[in-house]
Amino acid sequence: MATTTASITIASSDLVPGMAMNYYKTSTLTKAGTSTGLENIQSGTVEYNAASQKALFDQSALTTQFGTIADKANKVYVKNLSTDATEYFTIEINSVELGRLYAQDWMFIPWGAEDANADVQVTPSVATSMKLEFILLHE
Amino acid sequence: MATTTAAFTLSSSDIAPSPVSKSTTATLTKAGTTTGLEQCDGMSRRILLTSETSIMDLISAQAAGATGGAYTVDKANKVYICNSSTSDVDFVLITMYGEPIGRLYAGDWMFFPWGPGHATNSDIRITAASQTSSVIIDYMIIGQRNEA
Repeated sequence: MATTTASITIASSDLVPGMAMNYYKTSTLTKAGTSTGLENIQSGTVEYNAASQKALFDQSALTTQFGTIADKANKVYVKNLSTDATEYFTIEINSVELGRLYAQDWMFIPWGAEDANADVQVTPSVATSMKLEFILLHE
Repeated sequence: MATTTAAFTLSSSDIAPSPVSKSTTATLTKAGTTTGLEQCDGMSRRILLTSETSIMDLISAQAAGATGGAYTVDKANKVYICNSSTSDVDFVLITMYGEPIGRLYAGDWMFFPWGPGHATNSDIRITAASQTSSVIIDYMIIGQRNEA
């Protein structure tokens, strides 16, 4: 059993004047409904040269490769590596938008991968070499 | 202009042949700019009783009602949600626009951009359908609402 932790710190001294913010949370990443750690990881960097929707994580392909991932405690990390503040990736699951990941922004979410349509999809805002990095942790 | 940062660290000594260590920090800015986000709905807590098993709104895109106060335009809002419960078996299903995003188990947290692309239907909803004890959900929004 692997032990993997994910931590976040959200900090600001001036978002609310006079009330400095410094939230910290760490989580040990476990399989669904257990205290057993997640055991699979995939990571990498992808470059896109077309502003069209692409599957970053294909639910069906992952299921074929690793077995059932639906309704599990999978985790997804994505970071937009662009340094142009205007460039963003639109992040969707089954074509339902979560939001726009602007330059240097990152996200970390649980991915239920509920069915074959529940791909994690990304759409670059421009067609000129946008890059992201990703990590998928799953059972 | 406020300066707010969100730092992420992932660490494991044994999930891969070599130790995994990833750290990054983002300065949270308004959409398409280098200007810091200036609005927040600060850390809040909601406790769901074991009897509260139906799907319900956690964060409403229309909450403020006014044009400038709602979250109905695709901006660079950020949402943090944490299941602060302690029972391993309990989870909360996070959904948007009827689409399941994922299950947030006890101790798990999520942080993501929230760009309500579906206007009135982009509420962030939660379902604790089978919890064995009360579920504690902590959440926060840092964003820009419908600023011009």
